[in-house]
Amino acid sequence: MPLAFLIPVFSFAACPLIILFQRWLPLRGAPLAILAIAGGFAVWVWTLFGFLGASESNPACAVNGITHALTCHFSTDWFEAGLPGVAATVDQAIHLDWGILIDPLTIVLLGLITFVALGVQLYSLAYMKGDPRFGWYFAWQALFVAAMLTLALADNFLLLYIAWELVGLCSYLLIGFWFEQPGPREAAKKAFVVTRIGDVGLLVGILLLWVNVGSFSMTEAFAAAQSGALSSGVTTAAALLLLLGAMGKSAQFPFHVWLPDAMEGPTPVSALIHAATMVIAGVYLVARAYPIFAASPEALLIVASIGLITALGAATVALVSTDLKRILAYSTISHLGLMMLSLGALGWTAAVFHLMAHGFAKALLFLGAGSVMHGVGAHGDVDIRRVGGLRRAMPITAVVFSIGALSLGGIPILSGFWSKDEILLAVSGNLPVVFIVLTILTAALSALYMARAMFVVFFGPEGEDSAHAHESPALMLVVMGALAVLAVGFGWIAFDWPGSFGGFGGFVFYDHAEGFHFNIVLAGISGVLAIAAFVGAWLVYARRSISVASWRARLAPLLKVVENKYYVDEFYQWAIDRVILTTSAAVAWFDRAMVNDVAVNGPADVVRRAGFALRLHVTGHVYSYALAVALGVIALAVFWWLRSA
Amino acid sequence: MVPLLYFQLLGAALFGIGLYGVLARRSAVLIVLSIELMLNAVNINLIAAASYLNGTGRFEAFDGQIIAIFVITVAAAEVGLAFAIILRMYRNRGTVNVDEINVLRG
Repeated sequence: MPLAFLIPVFSFAACPLIILFQRWLPLRGAPLAILAIAGGFAVWVWTLFGFLGASESNPACAVNGITHALTCHFSTDWFEAGLPGVAATVDQAIHLDWGILIDPLTIVLLGLITFVALGVQLYSLAYMKGDPRFGWYFAWQALFVAAMLTLALADNFLLLYIAWELVGLCSYLLIGFWFEQPGPREAAKKAFVVTRIGDVGLLVGILLLWVNVGSFSMTEAFAAAQSGALSSGVTTAAALLLLLGAMGKSAQFPFHVWLPDAMEGPTPVSALIHAATMVIAGVYLVARAYPIFAASPEALLIVASIGLITALGAATVALVSTDLKRILAYSTISHLGLMMLSLGALGWTAAVFHLMAHGFAKALLFLGAGSVMHGVGAHGDVDIRRVGGLRRAMPITAVVFSIGALSLGGIPILSGFWSKDEILLAVSGNLPVVFIVLTILTAALSALYMARAMFVVFFGPEGEDSAHAHESPALMLVVMGALAVLAVGFGWIAFDWPGSFGGFGGFVFYDHAEGFHFNIVLAGISGVLAIAAFVGAWLVYARRSISVASWRARLAPLLKVVENKYYVDEFYQWAIDRVILTTSAAVAWFDRAMVNDVAVNGPADVVRRAGFALRLHVTGHVYSYALAVALGVIALAVFWWLRSA
Repeated sequence: MVPLLYFQLLGAALFGIGLYGVLARRSAVLIVLSIELMLNAVNINLIAAASYLNGTGRFEAFDGQIIAIFVITVAAAEVGLAFAIILRMYRNRGTVNVDEINVLRG
């Protein structure tokens, strides 16, 4: 278990090796990246069993006083600053350890990351075949995986922040992987800039904690927040600043605009980074820093509200979007919102559980979408109005995609049903009634848009682009199959099976072990709504026995707003054009007219004019100089004479 | 014995004439001559003061005279240099009238 730090190290090493030696390596070094992450996965399995067998007798492990979960901590010196000479005393010096924190949250997250990354990289072997920058793709993938794993393992905020920025960089590089085209280029820039706004909040939050706690250590910061050593104002401010970072990374309203555009990147990238791993970093941050949030009821309510707004808004947009990947992107935003909502509703275990279940199902859906793009020969958008009936040409893809859609849609006994149910339970128990109503609505919408995507693309009449469709290579299908198994079965580990350590809630929990709660009313409502949504979508989009044209006409004005994504992008564009550019123009004018012309050129101009005036006395005549000398001498003489008198 | 004041008046008169010459004359040669006049006015002052103060213990004997001899020496060297410059000036510009030589004008 002390060697768990090796999990990211393999991939960190693979990245530069691939970049430097891709020319001479087989398959441009791609096997190196896959071996690295496979090694990481193996170490994870080893760590998992080590952790399951660990107890407090292990000197590195202890039951955390806040989470009450077994937490193992391994650390070593990182650097010292402020000694000798600078700091007056030893305790003013900055001493920083770096290390890894292994608790149930880290364990399950590492499992998700290593497993999905391994699958996605294998899938990419087939999907990215023939790309001119094949090696670079795997180099960035390796770097991303390494950074993401570091983020999950970090035991202090500084290391977390470094990893946080690294995953952002990799996201930028991979969204803009096909930078020859304008779409990916702009999308990469947008993703980077929008998430940066949140990252500034995160950095300020970390520094705020450091100023008040005197350490970057998470354990110490959480202990201070819980013990009341931090004032409630500081705690709330720190929580909200961390939340700002989380909102940027996890694409929460109003920072969600980058995620749909990020679909311009290669589809396996969307599956790994923009569905299963990087975007959950924000949820992970809130879950990890939960002692700070739990100490501030205001912050929790804000987390829940933002989560709900995001979940509901994104779900409605996903319902009317016509691009397959964008439907999935808005669905991701919506589900990330649900996780935030759950965290805000004290449903910590439910949020992590949904994070896992959604990660597997959504990665599967994206890989399925990639398979569709591969099959119909599209390398950008898949307009769902132009494809259809693909189940005949791509039967296996159709099956696994449907499994993912049914799971995420919350059809009973599949993974998504259990995790969504846990969230509903937390929301109904801890938040006002309006929250649970809107959450159930979101859940129903999520079933509806998943059903729509599934039935339009794979069932129903054939579309114009599906004529030459063909099934994808076996490697891609195997990966999707493995994820499909998890999309079906992962949810069942919520139950307290014999030997399962009390089920998911008995292993991953905050404060107290959670049993599996089953509320027949909520489960019944959400299950019936999900099934109804799928049946309705089947009738509308597959059998075409019901027409929604009249509904569309009646709801036209509302539909227009939703189809334009609530004009959020337009609002930002307007704000940039009108507000920011106007302000910039004013600042530029001030810089030109005041700073440059007056403050900088002004003194120079005065000196020039003075020189022009003064040069008139320089006649060049010897006697005028001599006269000046003589008058000066006389003046001095008179001066001294008067002084001595 | 002639009082010191007379020597000083003579020196002041000579210096004033020299100063007037430097300021009023247009010919570089005459300006140099006027400077010589001012130097010699100083010499008269120095020698008069030296002989007047001799024996009072405030100066060593012949201090003034020694300085005067220095001044004469330096003046000789200075005249040599000045006339060399004036010669070059005449060769280059064809005149020694300082009114016409104002290359330093701003």
